Amino acid sequence: MTYRIGIDIGGTFTDFAMLKGDQVILHKNLSTPQDRSLGVMEGLGALAEKEGLDLAAFLGQCEAIVHGTTIADNTLIEMNGAHTGLITTEGFRDEVEYRRGHKEDIWDVRLAPPKQITPRRRRMTVSERLLHDGTVHVPLDEGSVRDAARRLGKQGVESVAVSLLFSFVNPDHEKRVRELVAEELPNAQISLSHEVLPRAPEYDRTSTTVVNAYVAPRVTSYLQRLVQRLKEGGYRNHLMVMQASGGVMTVDYIEGSPIRVLASGPAGGVVGSAHVGVAKNAKHLLCVDMGGTSYDMSLVLDGSAPAEAGWNMHHRYLIGVPMVKVETLGAGGGSICHVKSGELMVGPRSAGSEPGPIAYGRGGTDPTVTDALVMLGILSTDEGFAGGSFRLSKDGVTEAFAAIGAQMGTDAETAAFDSWRVVNANMSQGVRRTTAGKGIDPKDLTMLAYGGNGPAFAAIQAEDLGITRVLVPKASPTFSALGTLVANPMIDEERSYHAKATQLDLDRLKAMWGELADRARRYFADAGYPADKVACNYQLAMRYGGQNFALTFDIKHDGKLGDLSFVDAGLGVRAIELFNARHMAEYNHIREYETPEVVGVRLATHVVTPTPAVGAGFAAAAGKPSPAKTRRANLGQGFAEIPVYAGSTLKPGDVVPSPAIIEETFTTIVVYPGWTAKVDDAGDYELLKD
Amino acid sequence: MSYELNRLLAARKAPLPTSKTVDPVTATIIRGAMETICIEAATHLGRAASSAIINQSNERNGAIADAHGRLAGAAIGTPHLSFVTQSEVAYGLMKQEEYDWGPGDVFLANDPDYGGGHLPDYCVYAPVYSDDGELIMVQCLQAHQGDTGGKDPGGFTLEATDIYTEGLAFPCIKLVHRGKRRHDVFDFIVRNNRLPTFAGDLAAMIGGVQHSVRLLTDMIHKWGAGVVKAAINTNIDQTERRVREVVASWPDGTYEGTTWIDADTQGIKDVKVHVTCTVAGDQLTVDLTGTDDRPELVGVWNTFSNSRSYIMTQVVAMMDPTINKNEGFFNAVRLVIPEGSIAQPPPNKPAALGSFHPACEITEAVCIALSGIVPERAAPQVYKMGMPNAVIGFDENGQMWLEQGVDTRTHDASAVKGIDGWGACPNALGNLLLAQAEDAEPRFPILSKSREMVTDSEGPGQWRGMPGSTNVKQVLKPAMAMAWMVTQEHPLRGMCGGEDASPYANWFDVGTAKERKVPLAENAQLEPGAVIAYTYGGGGGFGPALLRDPQAVLEDVLDEYISVKRAHEKYGVVIKGHFDDYNLEVDLAATEALRKAMGVEDLREPAE
Repeated sequence: MTYRIGIDIGGTFTDFAMLKGDQVILHKNLSTPQDRSLGVMEGLGALAEKEGLDLAAFLGQCEAIVHGTTIADNTLIEMNGAHTGLITTEGFRDEVEYRRGHKEDIWDVRLAPPKQITPRRRRMTVSERLLHDGTVHVPLDEGSVRDAARRLGKQGVESVAVSLLFSFVNPDHEKRVRELVAEELPNAQISLSHEVLPRAPEYDRTSTTVVNAYVAPRVTSYLQRLVQRLKEGGYRNHLMVMQASGGVMTVDYIEGSPIRVLASGPAGGVVGSAHVGVAKNAKHLLCVDMGGTSYDMSLVLDGSAPAEAGWNMHHRYLIGVPMVKVETLGAGGGSICHVKSGELMVGPRSAGSEPGPIAYGRGGTDPTVTDALVMLGILSTDEGFAGGSFRLSKDGVTEAFAAIGAQMGTDAETAAFDSWRVVNANMSQGVRRTTAGKGIDPKDLTMLAYGGNGPAFAAIQAEDLGITRVLVPKASPTFSALGTLVANPMIDEERSYHAKATQLDLDRLKAMWGELADRARRYFADAGYPADKVACNYQLAMRYGGQNFALTFDIKHDGKLGDLSFVDAGLGVRAIELFNARHMAEYNHIREYETPEVVGVRLATHVVTPTPAVGAGFAAAAGKPSPAKTRRANLGQGFAEIPVYAGSTLKPGDVVPSPAIIEETFTTIVVYPGWTAKVDDAGDYELLKD
Repeated sequence: MSYELNRLLAARKAPLPTSKTVDPVTATIIRGAMETICIEAATHLGRAASSAIINQSNERNGAIADAHGRLAGAAIGTPHLSFVTQSEVAYGLMKQEEYDWGPGDVFLANDPDYGGGHLPDYCVYAPVYSDDGELIMVQCLQAHQGDTGGKDPGGFTLEATDIYTEGLAFPCIKLVHRGKRRHDVFDFIVRNNRLPTFAGDLAAMIGGVQHSVRLLTDMIHKWGAGVVKAAINTNIDQTERRVREVVASWPDGTYEGTTWIDADTQGIKDVKVHVTCTVAGDQLTVDLTGTDDRPELVGVWNTFSNSRSYIMTQVVAMMDPTINKNEGFFNAVRLVIPEGSIAQPPPNKPAALGSFHPACEITEAVCIALSGIVPERAAPQVYKMGMPNAVIGFDENGQMWLEQGVDTRTHDASAVKGIDGWGACPNALGNLLLAQAEDAEPRFPILSKSREMVTDSEGPGQWRGMPGSTNVKQVLKPAMAMAWMVTQEHPLRGMCGGEDASPYANWFDVGTAKERKVPLAENAQLEPGAVIAYTYGGGGGFGPALLRDPQAVLEDVLDEYISVKRAHEKYGVVIKGHFDDYNLEVDLAATEALRKAMGVEDLREPAE
């Protein structure tokens, strides 16, 4: 027997999803913040025990261990990364501080600045200049490089970002800077912009490289420690690491650009969603993850989670590497309901988990969304909450909503109901903004809800957006771990190339795609995947002259690694046709009189690895379960006695008519009026609009 | 086209008629939907457009006016432009029957004398009707165009004395009739524009508003027209109430601010803006009486709607940022703008430059006037470059290229009480994206040489402004560049005892015998290889510099925002050690003595 194990480390829990043949085994234990690899080893020990093996024998039989980590995110949240310096082209010292003028709130003149990773004193310039075609305009002054390195050394810099203009066209200067800095500062880590993000423009690339340099020492030392522990424990294969792009890759590959693991946790959840969605015949998904502090929204289109590069502001820094797009709204169970000048507002301030909602009974005094759900009778105060660890209490909740009601001229229950309406509306707006500009109508999507609070709102959210089908998988609490297990090894890289589509330099294109293919071949080979197992999509990024946003599409779908026979005289004509089709789909017009230009050459590669099977369908005989009890609750149409079902007693085929509340171990599912819940053959829930 | 029309456009307009009522929560939900739809429209435009000023600099705004021409919601862009939109629509609404408005129509407006700002700000708008054909609202998208078909490429003419010099003016023209593009009109407008990408941009604007109209129509269908109208009324009332609450919390009194433009484009000196803000109970009045009205002035005529907008941009900045931005601000605040002054010119004056100055001086004067009572928000939401630092040339087909010059640099980022100026601009401009060398150089024959901060160019203060910057570039082909300098003698003002920012300065033909600092205004013809340098002013300081935390001054020295000398002279801070050895520290005893000698004792009480 061999095993594949997905591991996701969260703030509170470390989740495991183990694939054993066709079977998925889930496990959870507490995270160990001081050294997170300890919690990983503890969980692996527990899984070994379940299998009746000692750890060494168990790890010896593990074919793959796949890992999603929040270490880079935590470094940025806590702002405790490496002491970082920046070396850049003379004249461009301050671009990273200007942020292209971006300010997160145009109305609030009291918005504080983000903490600088490289304050001006640690930004050095060197004399050199390349032109946009890569030719040398000013040669590199090596003395200025050594001087810059020494100045950074005097300031105790541990990690150096190097970002020179047009280095993505010609990396010679950056490479030489690395050699010189390494001589001057032998202990410093060095991040080169043309390796981290080889594309224009300079702020995007510099910011991404600076953040990379900032998180790199922590990420690499953590991963090396984990690799070491696993090796000592008896694991003989590569540790694979989840990337924000939704794919996994070896530690060696990640270490070339550790920023790739940023935001990889939510990406795991989206990849898991895509996998479940495909199995359940829902290729276009709106994935919503509502936890304690936030409401995360993402899209799955055609069964995959699209990763976007570009203007990704993340923790107030621009990160240009491809990321599965996850939009976050400050609307979770802990979001605080309050009145400001006669207007009822929910969030973005959150009570967090400490003290948490009033209903947690841990000293919280601000009414939250969770408290509103208690007021409305949607959440129970009868029995255990969050897996039975504690009980919710209504003490103080009514009074808090009565205070809100007093300001709004209503009673406590109405105030709670209005809070529920406001948070619903905020989420609907959030979804609309997520789909904005993509030409996607939410009503064409299936919703997939997870996170502790997602299923309580899912159907009413769906209704608001015109969505008629909602999936609530039973495994949703460990979704991110499942996602890392589902994710394929993936390398997706772009190189900058600028030319009119009618004037393509085919030799240059071949050289660029060839280099990308060589890189992919090498890393996949290291990871144990031969070239013939690697699926390739050769892509072009194109736009009309002057446009700032390119559209990326496959120019050769499902090609072979290194087979560049598609780069022929007809390439330009095919590219224009495909681009115009994309532009029409995206913007509903094309420009007949303009010749589009190519701005990027891309190779997206992956290897398909075994994934857990997901059950689906409704072969089981329809059952009519009985509710365990009733409870006075308001599901949007006033208070009434609502049937309450125990999720543990429901079986495949069971149909739960509305209105109803289904209580699962870690979550509560609401069947709003006009909806029906069905349990499918896998034991997962589907909510369907009548 | 008259003062009377201005009065009509600015008059307080009635709520939308409806027998429906709406609870505040539903009103909030509908407002959120409208804002989101504005963002969708602007996003669509930003991605599809091909002029750098729209898609690189993000200079586009989405806003919704109601059927009475009231600003019903604004969500994205720059406030300076958003708050003009409703006036342009208000004019179109007067012509509804005459111009045969109907579902599926799309209009264009840009006329300074008919509710607009300056000509380059094209406003494309489309009416939205209920299921039974009642006009409910109008979706607007505004974007700055790189050319307007006037005398000079780019739309700015230093010596213009009338609007006709500047290009084509559209009070209200129909681009799409009942869903079908009017090709004759579209092609005519495109023919009169020098930029080859203009047609694509205009098509993208049309596409953006059409997209929004579909969404808004669905929204009205879902809630019912009556509820949506009631929600708009409720939201506008709510904003008015909140603005009045804020004003009522301010001390009653009269507060004045005066600002100056160095000179008009022809050298007539000291162009004055004077603002009197009166707080009486919950009524704020902003009165521009005393503002210059010399008829011989050239280039400094701001349109009436733009003056209203630039006043409101600062009023909004000085209030709780969560107050919703809509007509409620205009209902709550009384604006007095003298007819014939540079803030409400006679008809047919040129408008291109006036939309920058005195517009920004109006904003700044409002900030000065209110700084004493709202010090924690007293940062002027302005830009003090005289005009866009664009570089313009022509390709082999005689078609224009325009490097818009909104390069990545910092300017005018002032402090407020408790927070140093930071970033590249005032908050109100924070939706723009500054252009990058690596995007510009493959497109335009320009080489970017430097864009760094200038040491000692901050406005000193207890909280200092952000330093200014110098942007140096070289043109590689023949080109023209225009400049008008307005801050040499009157730079951006510091607040509440904070010092003024550094002035702007432009140089042409740097490093040659012809090198010159532009004294006032110039339309320069540049030869290949010519180097130009634009120095942008810093942000103003807040509070007396002698009260700044000496440790913060040391940090500024380490970052080379300021020099050791400046620390001594402006902040009274003595710093010892050697910069190159990274061992600088504050000499506390010497600092205390120096500050005492500089009179710090006199400052302490009133500032605390």
